[in-house]
Amino acid sequence: MAKLILNRRTMLRGMLAGSAVALGLPTLEAMLGSHGTAFADGTPLPRRLVTWFFGNGVRLDRWVPKIQGAGYELTEELAPLAKVKDYCSVLTGFNNKAGYGRRGHHDGVAGAFSGYPFIALDPGNSNYSSKFGGPSIDQVAATAIAKKSPTYLPSLQLGVSKRVTTGEGPTLQYLAHKGPDQPLPSEYNPQVAFAKLFGSFVPKDDHSTKLRVTALDAVREDAKRLQMRVGASDKMRLEAHMESIYLLQKQILAIPPVCMKPGQPVENNKDINGDEPLLAVSKAMADIIAVAFACDLTRVVSLQQSGSVGGTVYWMTGATVEEHGLTHDANQQELVHQAVVFNMGCYAYLLEKLKSMPEGPGNILDNSVVYLGSDAAEGLTHSCFDQPVIVAGRGGGDLVYPGVHYRSDSDENTTDVLLSVLKTIDPTATEVGADQGYSNTPCKALTA
Amino acid sequence: MATRDKYLWGAAVAAAALSACATGTLGDPPGSGKTSGPEMPPVEPQGFKPPAPSLRRLLARQYRSSVRDLLGDAAAAAADPPADSSLNGFDAIGSAQLGVSDDAVTKYEDSARAVATAAMGDTARIATFLSCDPMAPADATACRKDFAKTFGRLAFRRPLDPEEIDRYAGVAETASTELGDFNSGIEYAILAFLESPSFLYQVEIGGVDPARPTLRRLDGYELASRMSFFLVGSTPSPALLDAAEKGTLNDAAGARAAAKALLAKPEARAALDSFYGEFLRLRDLDSVVKDASAFPLFTPKLAQAMREETLHLIDDIVWDQNGDYRDVLDADYTFVNGDLAELYGLPKPAGDGSGFIKVQLPEEQKRGGLLGQASFLSLFSHAAISSPTLRGKFVRERLLCQAIPAPPANVNTVLPTDPNAKTAREKLSVHQTAPACKSCHQAMDLIGFGLENYDGIGAFRTTENGETIDPKTDAAGIGAFDGAKSLGTLLRDQQGVTSCMVRNIFRGATGHIDTPGEEPVLKELDQSFTDSGYHLQDLMVELVASDAFRLVGVVE
Repeated sequence: MAKLILNRRTMLRGMLAGSAVALGLPTLEAMLGSHGTAFADGTPLPRRLVTWFFGNGVRLDRWVPKIQGAGYELTEELAPLAKVKDYCSVLTGFNNKAGYGRRGHHDGVAGAFSGYPFIALDPGNSNYSSKFGGPSIDQVAATAIAKKSPTYLPSLQLGVSKRVTTGEGPTLQYLAHKGPDQPLPSEYNPQVAFAKLFGSFVPKDDHSTKLRVTALDAVREDAKRLQMRVGASDKMRLEAHMESIYLLQKQILAIPPVCMKPGQPVENNKDINGDEPLLAVSKAMADIIAVAFACDLTRVVSLQQSGSVGGTVYWMTGATVEEHGLTHDANQQELVHQAVVFNMGCYAYLLEKLKSMPEGPGNILDNSVVYLGSDAAEGLTHSCFDQPVIVAGRGGGDLVYPGVHYRSDSDENTTDVLLSVLKTIDPTATEVGADQGYSNTPCKALTA
Repeated sequence: MATRDKYLWGAAVAAAALSACATGTLGDPPGSGKTSGPEMPPVEPQGFKPPAPSLRRLLARQYRSSVRDLLGDAAAAAADPPADSSLNGFDAIGSAQLGVSDDAVTKYEDSARAVATAAMGDTARIATFLSCDPMAPADATACRKDFAKTFGRLAFRRPLDPEEIDRYAGVAETASTELGDFNSGIEYAILAFLESPSFLYQVEIGGVDPARPTLRRLDGYELASRMSFFLVGSTPSPALLDAAEKGTLNDAAGARAAAKALLAKPEARAALDSFYGEFLRLRDLDSVVKDASAFPLFTPKLAQAMREETLHLIDDIVWDQNGDYRDVLDADYTFVNGDLAELYGLPKPAGDGSGFIKVQLPEEQKRGGLLGQASFLSLFSHAAISSPTLRGKFVRERLLCQAIPAPPANVNTVLPTDPNAKTAREKLSVHQTAPACKSCHQAMDLIGFGLENYDGIGAFRTTENGETIDPKTDAAGIGAFDGAKSLGTLLRDQQGVTSCMVRNIFRGATGHIDTPGEEPVLKELDQSFTDSGYHLQDLMVELVASDAFRLVGVVE
């Protein structure tokens, strides 16, 4: 791959209401201390988190390795990980306790990505919907990062297959959730996602930036006044709105980041003869994640490869109908398996990409966690026991390396894994999730 | 009720929904008691207690229409608001509950900037908001304040107070000074107005109703917005805001008159089409995927024609005839273009086939109304085959307001493979007998089996995989039927269907699921809908005039 070229500038600051707005700098050799594992001033290298989701589970008989420990074998569905196996810990036999059997798929995705049981919106005689019961793990991490070392974007939400389920509420439609009432939509077009990150590279005309901020100041005053008149939940919605305005103001004022602007992706996620360009989009998104991390424009990304339930057709496997339907058809399990292999190939591409990007003495994958999960163990049963979980990346050295296969024989909670993942970002974190999904016990098998 | 199965799933399932399948209460219309039994006379809305109001973010389509009405077509073309998120089947409910993301706020700013720039190109329209010549303003400060007052009232759908006028005039002044011309100031003020929560949210706070001090009603401006967004999908017109200012919307008679005037506007049709796009999920036809080998006729163009067919029928009944809404369920005619005529096996219309013509449906296909239309039949099918379950689920949930719970977790939902099973009814037979499946699947599939003469894109067929299809069925709470028309005819006489329609219209209009405290008023609306001969226009007018639309609870 082409090496990312960085060039240095002195300061990366904007001014907002008199306070400096610092953006992250990419990590340059010259900035590191003598051991290369931290900046010269002792600040550790940035830690990143990607949550990576695909819908409808796996075929457990072709997913779960027989051997445990670092010498685990790559099963048919794990085979695409060959080049990054050392970075991958495969966790099996875990129980998604937050998904305690209320509604298939909803249970699976909400539990595996937040540790909170979902909230059902089922008022008797209207259509069923549900929302997350708490923030998804990426947003918990993003909040922790924003407090200590804010980046240009607190987090980035990406999606590959556009055919997600939209009729059952935020739980199935979105992967990232700041809270129950604040789902974060995914961006499906790599060109737009790219512009979100790198649009700011364009030098700004000073008049317009200042005036845009002035206009937003007026708007925030309005929001504050309105806040005094509305009920408690609307107060919170307006608070979130004002926080987003404040962030936007900071982004408007930010000085362009110092990375050399990478090339604009050609992929725009338009169907070709009715087929989604899943592979090309997934790769384009992986490339964007890699360069966003390298330039430290964000440290948290969620990627929805396909939706929970959803209508994704894995045409490259020969399938002509949607994956979710196939999972419920006993005769079509081979196609289901092939779709899993396809998805794992996309996941592996991202890991390989991050591994190929040097940083300090190692690479970006060394300083990242890429958490993979789904919404069921197998689509055909919607079971929340033994859902597929992979934790890839070394988490800055906190996570076990080389990666292991660990099969729990003690009904361990998938939320334990989320807590371990979170602790690589925020070492002070002590708990994740709530109620049935609650955990304050990190997953021992993942500890370095 | 035929379904009296007492089997309970072991798993914890949403209790209300589960009891619906397991105890046989399916078939009871919402809030109207049992289907049988004497009609209750209309009663005073005793126990009426509306829920607390909440902020309702403008739907994307309402945002675009509002920009068009405020600033013209060029500005509307530049508008690009964030997408909606639906809850409980309606965007309006999502917009009343969910918060915005960082991305959405960024998108609102991008959109407002593009709109403001485009709007400034229409100097004639901008001049209508100005009290001075923008090229040579005599008193620029006063002129900016007048602009904030005039445009702000339209954008915020209420008068601005002096502090707000100063704030937005101040934005204009800063920009004018910085950029050295008056118009740039106006452009930045427009930008700010369109980013404000007072524009982006319908604010419904209400105040004490002087005529009934124990109740709270929306003020005239709030009601003007609520009815305008509901009936014409856009911001209230200057005339409607004037009516609010004069106080003519403060009672039921005034609200009724204003609603009638709104329904006379051409935009009312488009607004109702949008509602049906959501309610019947017609908008999903944009992204529906069909297996090309099973359905070579299916194209995106055909899918659009399917959507239009249904809207044509609704338009015809609701607007052109102002007839009985229930005809949508069993009309013996429809509207086809060339592609649809081919799908249905009807003679093609003359010309290039792109136009729609009204046609009588052939009796042998047993089609009639919505449930025989390709839109419904395609949407509630799988990619390669029909789905009696999805079709039945739609009828139960959307037309009868009966919730169907999800399959219990951890149950193997894979159907056994039976090489002798050719038809859907045969393939799904285990769902009719297995204890864990049958209580809910009977409720759904026994409706869908009666529509099996229509394949996964709505074409008529008599066989499946070489075997003759048996389309005769008997669905609990509905009755025995065979084909779409006979089902529609049974449904049109169900009180559950018409009261469900009342509630769905109400949900879309108010952005919340009806609460028990609103039932007394909704029951009155059920009655008035019946009394009107099921005229949907009358229902919408009476809904606007009702306490359930005009009153709100205390802000909590």
